[in-house]
Amino acid sequence: MRQFHFIRSNTFLWALAVAAAFALFVVGLFAFIYWKIDDYLIVRSDRMITTQIDFLARLPSARRVNAITDHLEQDSRGVQYAGLFDAAGARLAGNIQRVPQELELDGVVQGVRLDRITQSTDHDPVVRAAARRLEGGAILVMGRNVDETREISSVVGQALALGLLPAFCLCLLAGACLSIRAQRRVEEVNQRVRRIVAGDLRERLPQDNVDDPFARLAGIVNGMLDEMETMINALTGVGNDIAHDLRTPLTRARLALERGRTHAATLEQLHEVVDKAVAGIDQSLAIVTALLRLAEIENNRRMAGFGDVALDEILREVCDVYEPIAEDKNVALGVAIDRKVQVWGDRDLLFETVANLVDNAVKFTPAGGMVRLELVSTDKTAFVRVSDTGLGINEQEREAVLRRFYRSDKMRHTPGVGLGLSLVAAIVKLHGFRLIIYPPPGGRVEILVSTGAKGPRPSTSRSRVTRGLTGRNVGGDAWLANGESRDA
Amino acid sequence: MTRILLIEDDAETAESVIAELADRGFEVQWSPDGIDGLDRARSSCPDALIVDRMLPGMDGLTVIEALRKDEVGTPVLVLSALGAVDDRVRGLRMGGDDYLTKPFALIELVARVEALLRRPTDSRETTLRAGPLELDLIDRTARRGEREIDLLPREFRLLEYMMRRSDQLLTRAMLLEEVWNYKFVPATTNLIDVHMGRLRHKVDGPGEMQLIHNVRGSGFLLRVRQ
Repeated sequence: MRQFHFIRSNTFLWALAVAAAFALFVVGLFAFIYWKIDDYLIVRSDRMITTQIDFLARLPSARRVNAITDHLEQDSRGVQYAGLFDAAGARLAGNIQRVPQELELDGVVQGVRLDRITQSTDHDPVVRAAARRLEGGAILVMGRNVDETREISSVVGQALALGLLPAFCLCLLAGACLSIRAQRRVEEVNQRVRRIVAGDLRERLPQDNVDDPFARLAGIVNGMLDEMETMINALTGVGNDIAHDLRTPLTRARLALERGRTHAATLEQLHEVVDKAVAGIDQSLAIVTALLRLAEIENNRRMAGFGDVALDEILREVCDVYEPIAEDKNVALGVAIDRKVQVWGDRDLLFETVANLVDNAVKFTPAGGMVRLELVSTDKTAFVRVSDTGLGINEQEREAVLRRFYRSDKMRHTPGVGLGLSLVAAIVKLHGFRLIIYPPPGGRVEILVSTGAKGPRPSTSRSRVTRGLTGRNVGGDAWLANGESRDA
Repeated sequence: MTRILLIEDDAETAESVIAELADRGFEVQWSPDGIDGLDRARSSCPDALIVDRMLPGMDGLTVIEALRKDEVGTPVLVLSALGAVDDRVRGLRMGGDDYLTKPFALIELVARVEALLRRPTDSRETTLRAGPLELDLIDRTARRGEREIDLLPREFRLLEYMMRRSDQLLTRAMLLEEVWNYKFVPATTNLIDVHMGRLRHKVDGPGEMQLIHNVRGSGFLLRVRQ
């Protein structure tokens, strides 16, 4: 069965086809060589016959018989034919019995059958001959056995057999080796893919260090599997998070309704209970909505709205929206814009990102403090910097704040569901920008924006950090959340 | 009486919506599937349509598209559990006038239906008046009677939006979408309230009759009718 599969394999069939084509080519080449040699020998023989017949025709008739006899005696290989006949066709000298009927007497060399007096070979030799009628009516016939070409063809045939058969076998052997190697690789891939399908998400395709298309394909598939594993793990985590975080508001709603049903004595009390329950359900819905949006952004399904976006306008607008909120809290909110900056992105999502950062900064800056929103730019890059005089994000929490539903102890009593920075990180990643969280004193978060290239650079890196964000230290112990795999 | 056609396959949702709209004085017809809904929309010519997206028989957006092809200009509120931005955009592009994601508050649905029924005319007037308030849309100045009101650009837009829909409940979601152009729910939930508080402080001066009202748990109202 395996042999049958092997013989039926594409690689082997291709090898067979290549070998057959090679064999055909070699046969054709040898045939051409044979034809060229044969042609050359016949032309050479014809020239010699013409020379000889001219020479003998010019001799005096008395010397011709001796000359023919000498000519034949000197022919050690027995390939020469010569005959002198009288006008009636009777042989006077030479080794030819009679003048062949088909032979024209015009001196032109042609292929004929000549009857030799003594037949040395067991087959009719191939002879080139010419005949000429001499003065006095005598007929001179000169010929030459060109059977050498048969010898040559047999030599060529032997060479062909000796050369072609090994070459053909070598081709087949190479094809078989390649076929077996490819089949082994494919079989190994099949087995591993079966294991992945069966649920072993840590399995990867074999990846040699050679730079062949198969290895490159394996590399790409492994990258895809990395991303899928990360996403599935994140999804599992999200499932747990949802279960936990939805239970809290839903429990509150349930308890409120339960207590209201048994204890509410007046319409006003019942309204109060219903308001509490509605608030709990609203929070649950807000969590679901935020998670769906997060999934939508993380799955790169929000590329449709990409275009040129004026970042400076977004900063001014966010400042305009949050200025009264900050003023209410007695927090100074200022904006400083270096110059106009255009980026390639989704305006609504970028607005949401900056709004989220400013929202957090205002929320966690004590009264009397300051929040500053800045846009600093060079030719190729720009920074959106949100800094505040609050507590900032300490080192232990830098990675955690990007996780879904993470609520720091100091945030426990502030409203929110703990998805703001997750959304920020996802939007930054979608755009191929970078999110940098600086250590205290004060809060400082920067988005490193690329203004040089159009379009986001999708992340392909494998990461063990939640949602494909890789972390590393940059200058001043800042925490960097990448939207791409390359180092800055 | 204003007649509304509700095309919604879920009977319980339909029952709640019909009851709420009936309480508000609307006459509501109900159709539980797309094909029947399209027939009723064509035959009964309602003043407004509320159409769910996923319907048996015919998809809600197909119903709207068919009506628009027939040059039926009836305002349509699309209801859907699909709340992604792309879904909303598609719903509006196919001929919907407004889009409400499930689950929704009944008060939100009613406010949006009322807003659809009383869509401000795209007038070319340069001055907008509502009760004692007056907005000069060219000079971007605002007055209440003889008193000039000093407004920031965002406050001006907010007051203009409210004056065009005076005596009509405006939910926070509507204000966020229309005035702030927000496509998401802000983390700070009292964002609208803070802005509205500042605007109210400027519009309703000491001793003046209150025009901007907070409707508890629902939204805001610019009341000019006494």
